[in-house]
Amino acid sequence: MSEVPAHSAKAVLPLYWQVQRRRNADLFGLFAVVLAFLAAYGFLFPGFFTLQGFAKFTQSWFPLALVAMAQAILMLTGGISLAVGAMVSLGAVIAATTMAGPLGVTGGAAVVALAGLGIGAATGLIVVKLRLPAIVVTLAGSFIVGGAALLILPRPGGAVPEWLSDMLAGNTPAAFALIVLIVLLWKIYLATPLGLGIYAAGENPVGAYRSGIRVDRVLVAAYAISGLLSTGAGLFVAAQTGSGDPVIGTAFTLNSIAAAVLGGIGFLGGQGSMRGALAGSLLLSLMISVMFFLGFTPVSQYVAQGLIIIGAVAIPQFRRKR
Amino acid sequence: MATAAPYLAARGVSKWFFGNPVLRDVSIELHPGRVHALLGENGAGKSTLINLLSGALPADRGTIEIDGTPIPRMTPATAQQAGIAVVQQELSLTGSLSIAENIGLGSYPRQFGMIDYAALADRAEAAANLAGLHEPLSIPVGTLPLGRRQMVEIAKALYRKPRVLILDEPTSSLSASEARILTELLQRLKREGVAILFISHRLPEVIALCQHVTVLKDGVCMADRPIEGTDAAGLVRLMVGRDPGDLFPHWTPAPSLATAIAVKGFSSGLMRDVDLEIRRGEVLGIGGLAGQGQEDLLLALYGAAPAETSAAEVNGVAGLPRSVSRANAMGIAYVPADRKREGLHISHSIITNLLLPGFARKSALELRNRSEEGQVAKDLASHFAIKGDLDRPAQALSGGNQQKVALAKWMSNQPQVLLLNDPTRGVDVETKREIYIMLRQFAIEGKAVVLLSSDTPELVHLCDRVVVIREGRIVSLLERAELSEQAIVAAAVGAETPEAAA
Repeated sequence: MSEVPAHSAKAVLPLYWQVQRRRNADLFGLFAVVLAFLAAYGFLFPGFFTLQGFAKFTQSWFPLALVAMAQAILMLTGGISLAVGAMVSLGAVIAATTMAGPLGVTGGAAVVALAGLGIGAATGLIVVKLRLPAIVVTLAGSFIVGGAALLILPRPGGAVPEWLSDMLAGNTPAAFALIVLIVLLWKIYLATPLGLGIYAAGENPVGAYRSGIRVDRVLVAAYAISGLLSTGAGLFVAAQTGSGDPVIGTAFTLNSIAAAVLGGIGFLGGQGSMRGALAGSLLLSLMISVMFFLGFTPVSQYVAQGLIIIGAVAIPQFRRKR
Repeated sequence: MATAAPYLAARGVSKWFFGNPVLRDVSIELHPGRVHALLGENGAGKSTLINLLSGALPADRGTIEIDGTPIPRMTPATAQQAGIAVVQQELSLTGSLSIAENIGLGSYPRQFGMIDYAALADRAEAAANLAGLHEPLSIPVGTLPLGRRQMVEIAKALYRKPRVLILDEPTSSLSASEARILTELLQRLKREGVAILFISHRLPEVIALCQHVTVLKDGVCMADRPIEGTDAAGLVRLMVGRDPGDLFPHWTPAPSLATAIAVKGFSSGLMRDVDLEIRRGEVLGIGGLAGQGQEDLLLALYGAAPAETSAAEVNGVAGLPRSVSRANAMGIAYVPADRKREGLHISHSIITNLLLPGFARKSALELRNRSEEGQVAKDLASHFAIKGDLDRPAQALSGGNQQKVALAKWMSNQPQVLLLNDPTRGVDVETKREIYIMLRQFAIEGKAVVLLSSDTPELVHLCDRVVVIREGRIVSLLERAELSEQAIVAAAVGAETPEAAA
């Protein structure tokens, strides 16, 4: 892959955009597969091209997109979270128990956000200060957070104001607009030293530390953002269903890892990009829908999903060997 | 020379790792406009001293001073604010980030809290130009070869406009032209009043470039004086603490010279189309600059990396081993250079480490015999003079004793061919001497010993023959009578001496 000669490219494109363009280089294959699945989906479900159909599709993708980002940001730091699903459940039950009460929607959303940021930051502090493996800390965290969700709301119930459900999960593409907004915020974050530090701290923590990056701070911030994205996904799920369910998030833990892996995020830290993780979550979401339309039974869907993930991860390895 | 306070100084600093002293009461002063050489053998404590000076490690005793003021808790951030930049031997780069993002890492220009990419592009380009780095700044560092990454590391240091520049063996992975660019750059920075600390094993380079020298040996400062009036031999004597010759056992010719391994048209990794014969009863040295393919050669002979050959023979059997277990069965053992990660299971006990190759030979579900194991380990330990309780974890041992464990563990296999990858790196002088005696003893017993070494005196004084590898080819095969440091170094860098040109 010979690039445009350096000097001409330099004259045309500022450094930032050159860097951005190169980050896409490894992802063209994934983007092509996502487009193919989008086309298949549009073919199987022509309603996709109406505003309503588009809105419904993005709504079904939205929570997975958020948890994929929540997982990817931690995998980029070299960590992982097994508490994503529990955090989604917690976000959902907090939303369903606060928003219809005196706190109102704004107050409830603030509690959801604070819970996500606070629990995330606490997890990050434990990982960083005690130098414990993220997988162990978040496994323990998943029990604590999942238990807390059940304490707040022992069985499905609570309520989310109807107008909020209509706004987020109605017939408008609000979910899509939110994704665009979140992606923009992420781009801005990644253009800050704290954000770009995630890559350095994830791939070469000692080198990052010696370069003057405050590795601890970068990691705690990443865990906090990851927590916020997870409980935010929970709020959305509560709005979708109109009520809270203390175990609704369970499947998101493994699906978030699957989406991140499909999107090319590596387990060793610093490998991959958020656009990849988002594309991975979109692909996973599309796969589920397409298989549903093709009449796969739920069980065969799981098997196919697993095979596709293994295949997606193995193909680059084969390519490297040759 | 300078009467003002030094930019950066260490006063009586000491440091211990796992109870082993690595620095004892060392002082050093870095003055503006001076290139200060820090010399010492591998493991003498140079890198540790740098880590103390740059705040990457805290000193256990003693103080670090900046402009004459003691700094109680030095961190990389304080060092950076004081204008101290370090080019580490282990690179501090992030492969997935671009050259520019790496150069600016940790001190990006900002605008509204965000990285100012336009300013970064300008400043990173200026630094890259100084370092002779002309690749597009947007390409990821992970795609660059090692020498170019080293130049990125240097550009990264320059980007910080340092008052104090510390370079830890910056030239070891550089090509000759890259090294020349670096030398010119350092001369220029010196004229601009930067205080430079320069670590290198290449003494001619040091004598040409530096004005002052500090020599460390086993963590103790042996000399701190102007370089004028000293020569390479004098510096070596300070580093080794005796004449280099005394370190090595008396050489005796080999009793038999039967072929142990012979390969023709051998290619693997960087190695291309090489012919080589390894004989029993000899220590065959492998020299050359770092990373020319020497390690690929050893790994392929050991069955750990695939190789292509037009003809190969090991102990009379055709073909190279295809796997490590096959190589072990054929009587080949390999001692890796990185004993912490490859040679030993560092957090496990010494006895476990000693027994591990023996376990591999047993059948999978055979029951262990503890008393026999204990006896085997005790014999090995006493034969190799590994002192103390064998139930301690291997990391409690000093570097030298760890190396002895990494070597000793193979002996229960009765290997006929020993492939050793830089076995004396980071090993103290006394243990070096013990290892040298063992290696000669192995040769006398009729084993073939292959010694890959970055330590040239070792190749000269210990080996029967030395092959020098450059860019994946054997560029020189020196017999005992032709061995000299000059001949090896000249072949390694491609500067043929007049005598050897014939």
